[in-house]
Amino acid sequence: MNPRKPYVRPISKTSWFMTQGRYKVYMLHEISSLFVAIYTAILIIGLVRLGEGEAAWQGWLDAVTSPIGVIFHLIAFVFALIHTTSWFKAVPQAMRIQRGEEIVPGKLIVGAHYGVLAAVSLFVLILAGVA
Amino acid sequence: MARSAKAVPWFLFAAGGTVLSFILPVMIFTTGIAPALGLFTDALSYDTMSAFVGNWLVKLVLFGILTLACWHAAHRLRVCAHDFGIRADTAVAVILYGLATVGTATAALALVSI
Amino acid sequence: MSERTIELEVLRYRPEQDQEPFFQTYKVPCEEEWVVLDALNYVKEEMDRTLSYRWSCHMFVCGSCGMMIDGEPKLACKAFLKDYPTGKIRVEPLSNFPIERDLVVVLDDFVEKLESVKPYIIPKEERTVEQGEYLQTPAQLKAFKQYTLCINCLCCYAVCPQYGLDESFVGPAALALAHRYNMDSRDLGRAARDDVVAAAEGIWHCSFVGACSQVCPKDVDPAGAIQQAKFAHGIDYLTSFLPGGKR
Ligand code: SF4
Ligand code: SF4
Ligand code: FES
Repeated sequence: MNPRKPYVRPISKTSWFMTQGRYKVYMLHEISSLFVAIYTAILIIGLVRLGEGEAAWQGWLDAVTSPIGVIFHLIAFVFALIHTTSWFKAVPQAMRIQRGEEIVPGKLIVGAHYGVLAAVSLFVLILAGVA
Repeated sequence: MARSAKAVPWFLFAAGGTVLSFILPVMIFTTGIAPALGLFTDALSYDTMSAFVGNWLVKLVLFGILTLACWHAAHRLRVCAHDFGIRADTAVAVILYGLATVGTATAALALVSI
Repeated sequence: MSERTIELEVLRYRPEQDQEPFFQTYKVPCEEEWVVLDALNYVKEEMDRTLSYRWSCHMFVCGSCGMMIDGEPKLACKAFLKDYPTGKIRVEPLSNFPIERDLVVVLDDFVEKLESVKPYIIPKEERTVEQGEYLQTPAQLKAFKQYTLCINCLCCYAVCPQYGLDESFVGPAALALAHRYNMDSRDLGRAARDDVVAAAEGIWHCSFVGACSQVCPKDVDPAGAIQQAKFAHGIDYLTSFLPGGKR
């Protein structure tokens, strides 16, 4: 008789991510994609409306500034920040840069990303402010 | 095991994630929060927006951002579905990548007609 | 030397008599500077000879003493008691693996995967002894050195949710080791590893939770290795469709 009887501990396929803090953080990053999807849809609809004329465009603007619109965009903004910070944090892992015998420190790579973020943000704001 | 074609959506996901990490916060602020605060009313007026989006370079950049955003979100939502315990991966992939295709096509059509 | 009594809650499973695992608590008189492995050794020697667990080196190099300590996968020989001020420590076998007995888990699945990624140098050119050694610059060594540090302790598998949910996933340590050889200037085996590494069950199954790298006692960063591999194998895949590309 085979005396072996390995015991497999069960894992819930639908709630495993509640068992550790790091899994919850991961899921928060993943869920940002839901808000990216909805926001992208809103933008695409905005472009369609823009093509349809002034009244249609105004209707889109009204929807964006409605209470539900504002609440959605505020939440989406928070998730956008979550996406940005978690993405930057992971960049040095996914993209290792080697100069000779040295690996470029992760802090430098992340810092450069924040620099670009600031520049891009400023550019868009100036564009919106001056245009 | 065999080599998988998942490389294709992954590249779109990764490229999209990178572009969005730079542009998304300020974009959501500009188009979603600023109007409610009464900011950028000139920039978001019909005339300025039509003229702005009428520029072919702007069209190209917007198309790039929107396409990558669609595919980034679709791929990540596919992973999400798996993580929430939905195991019908093929069906999920067809639906989500299908939606991303619709989004890309709609964006292209809308941009061309402005 | 000061002593402290630690309550060690150990998950026990004796296949010949238990239907399922249960916790057994040992009150262990411990020295201040002990690690969890010392406490287990004390139990084994002085209190309960039936307790089973793996260890060998007691200095974080053999990789055999990986176990869950208060829910985190750790090397028992590197988990200092002074970091557990409550005096109560819960010890369980590594998550995501079947329990063979007490703290010993079944490793067959991992060993199979390790072999499947061809973890050895597949040389560009076979050299005879007369031709001498394969030369490598310090910079070339640096490119993969970090990924050689893995001691197969499997802490990363114990915390990887994707492996826990679907054991067909090749998993962090094996994929990081494949990356180690792919990054080696003497190696030309990336295409040969492609079938396993770039399969759906390989790198593409990883969703970059990053948990593996957080717990790795050797700072191997398997999560980073896998993302870099996605890029390299992804480029291989795309270029294979170009004229002259290898399919
Ligand atoms: S990668 Fe790190 S955690 Fe995983 S087996 Fe190797 S040493 Fe252990
Ligand atoms: S990064 Fe990949 S291999 Fe590491 S824990 Fe996450 S899913 Fe698993
Ligand atoms: S006993 Fe060897 S690593 Fe802990």
